Amino acid sequence: MGKIFDWIDSRFGVKEPHRRFLQRSLPPGVNYSYCLGGAAFTLFAISAVTGILLSIYYVPSETEAYMSIIRINEDVRLGWLVRSTHKWSANLLIVFIILHALRVFVSGAYRPPRELNWIVGVFTLISAMASGFTGYLLPWDQKAYWATVVGTSMAATVPFIGERLLYLLRGGPEVDGTTLIRFYSAHVLILPIMMSIILWAHFHMVKKQGISGGM
Amino acid sequence: MNRRDFLKAVVKSFFLLLGLSLFLPVLYIYPYRIKKKTVELFPVLDEDELPRSGVKRINLSYERGGRKINTRAFIVMSRTGLTALSPVCSHLGCLVNWDSNKREFLCPCHGGRYNMDGDVIAGPPPRPLTRLPIVIREGKVYIGMRI
Repeated sequence: MGKIFDWIDSRFGVKEPHRRFLQRSLPPGVNYSYCLGGAAFTLFAISAVTGILLSIYYVPSETEAYMSIIRINEDVRLGWLVRSTHKWSANLLIVFIILHALRVFVSGAYRPPRELNWIVGVFTLISAMASGFTGYLLPWDQKAYWATVVGTSMAATVPFIGERLLYLLRGGPEVDGTTLIRFYSAHVLILPIMMSIILWAHFHMVKKQGISGGM
Repeated sequence: MNRRDFLKAVVKSFFLLLGLSLFLPVLYIYPYRIKKKTVELFPVLDEDELPRSGVKRINLSYERGGRKINTRAFIVMSRTGLTALSPVCSHLGCLVNWDSNKREFLCPCHGGRYNMDGDVIAGPPPRPLTRLPIVIREGKVYIGMRI
């Protein structure tokens, strides 16, 4: 590569390990369905970038949230595009995680020594669903509000600790501004950090164990 | 115990403490004050506005923590007498609507159905609609809401 890159890489040393990873030979039987996980990761990356952009205009407050969404859609240059891209990449992320899981299941790639990576993969799905659930409240319209009333009410049906779990999720007995802010915090900080750590572990194991052969 | 074992024990207990402290965020996140709900009486109708038979929807709004909250209740006159019903579905907390053609309360979320007295006809609700206290005093009708 270029002189500048080589200057950096001779000190930073990122080329050699990646060459080993990117140019390794693949087992026979690998086909395009093995790209589903990569597609899911791409969608996660798109959600992350568009999400960071949205956070510049979104206001996580009871009185401002809805109007800030309207502003993003109507006033902000390309705001509609950023918001739609965030919405669609988030929806497709769930779809592609499930398709990827189906591929892993069908090709038997969850078998030893890759059981732990299957378990970690389940955590990615859970994090993605939690991100979807918390993100759904943020527009703070009727659909968002009632979806969260219904969704959090399910926690109350857990035996013994249900009510406390409900208060923990909602930040009080009702869905209100407190709920909005804690969902926002989970959506933009807690869950993305969790997701990044989980994905790092997922890819680390792919790298260590290699791709399992085709069927 | 030699020095090596002692240091190992110190490091281990340090990590044990670190592990135990992971539950502290849960304490932090748990709401620091949960306002107890109390029943308050709201004047909703004059006595002569009470329905002779059927269901009357009452819209209510009250102020709480500087915010206006809109809610509703139903006053029902049926064969069993006068009752006031909470609109909150016993399944997952959506607000039910009165369908005057079917003469049923319908929940828009998961299709719960209740009859005029608030008893479950169909769908997932585990309990009837909550009956609210209703008081008639000096020609005014009051209903008690837990707020």
